[in-house]
Amino acid sequence: MSDAYRPTDPEDVLLLAADAARIVLESGGETYRAEETAVALSSSLGGEEAECFATPTGIVLSFTGLDGRVHSIVRRVSRRTMNLERVARIDDLSRRLQSGKVDFDGAASELDAIERLAGRSAIVSAAGAAAGAAFFTLFFGGAWNDALVAAFVGALLSRFTLLFARRAIPEFVANLVGGAGATFLCLVARYLGLATSADGTIIGVIMLLVPGVAITNAIRDTIGGDLVAGVARGADSFMSAAAISIGAGGAYQLWTLISGRMG
Amino acid sequence: MIASPLGPLWAALATVGFAVLFNLRRRDIPIAALGAAFGWAVSMPITLATGSQAAGLFAAAAVIGLWAELVAAFLKRPASVYIVCAIIPLVPGGGMYYTMLASVKGETWTAVTEGFSTLQSAGAIAAGLALSGAVARLLSIRRLTWGRGLRNPPK
Repeated sequence: MSDAYRPTDPEDVLLLAADAARIVLESGGETYRAEETAVALSSSLGGEEAECFATPTGIVLSFTGLDGRVHSIVRRVSRRTMNLERVARIDDLSRRLQSGKVDFDGAASELDAIERLAGRSAIVSAAGAAAGAAFFTLFFGGAWNDALVAAFVGALLSRFTLLFARRAIPEFVANLVGGAGATFLCLVARYLGLATSADGTIIGVIMLLVPGVAITNAIRDTIGGDLVAGVARGADSFMSAAAISIGAGGAYQLWTLISGRMG
Repeated sequence: MIASPLGPLWAALATVGFAVLFNLRRRDIPIAALGAAFGWAVSMPITLATGSQAAGLFAAAAVIGLWAELVAAFLKRPASVYIVCAIIPLVPGGGMYYTMLASVKGETWTAVTEGFSTLQSAGAIAAGLALSGAVARLLSIRRLTWGRGLRNPPK
């Protein structure tokens, strides 16, 4: 490092704080947590009067640096994948920064490590999805064979959502295809006698896609006064539910047509 | 809603599946699962006793929130890591789906009633979590410098 390098250069602090907030939002953290993280990081590294405005799709951060000038940055948030371990680690990092247990360089390299923190492998995720779908089928009163079918379809569904996310296919299309595929497979399974009740199996699998947490967070944000974030999350969950049910409704129609032909 | 005695068990196991999907740290998974079991064990009898699903969900969310805040204070982790996973069995994802499915099928009235009860459920859960968050802050389980409302933490 050159002698001119100053660890608390306001521009560096700005980038660090904005990146931390972006990772919080991308990993499924709450809007207020992203805002608090950005403010806490910038104020503990010398930013005065730090203010952050975050929505589920972007961050605006601004503060007065040690040089007396106002610095600000805008960050767009696009891809979103749940990784709560990242959220927890950034929370921990920001607490340690506030109490002075870690300096700028330490925080920067730690944040870099957090960003590169990989999620679970595809197989483990598929197993998680299978367990989620199977136990939700039992939870909603399905039988054992229904749960087995749900586990299989759920694992397939998680593979597909991963593939779609990697190819950057819009979430709406992914939900549409996922809802249709899952519904169709469950109907076929009942026709083949593998599942007893198609409806119980379908809702168990569809629980993997439905935006239940999103709609609850939308109301939590609105109660907390983050009105823009609340409305944005509400619209997001509305569109996901619409996509899934258009897919599922279409699959029902197609199945009625096919099974009608087969007599 | 179904009133199976095994409900809390299935809720906990489904939460384990989702906790894996959400990349929760391994030793946090049982905590989230236990929260889900507590929540459902509270929600079911209250729903049956009062006849109001919202009351059951409100109480369950409050219990899950308190459990999460308590554990989070001990382990120095954010409570919402546990909350997000543990509320999944309560959360009205199915309701969102049935609402939209009814509108796709053109059953407007079903869509309206389903949609209303979905919003009511989500609101009850959000209110329960807000209550537990407030209680945790009053008992100062959660550190004040890290609470919402103090936008510029003291240096």
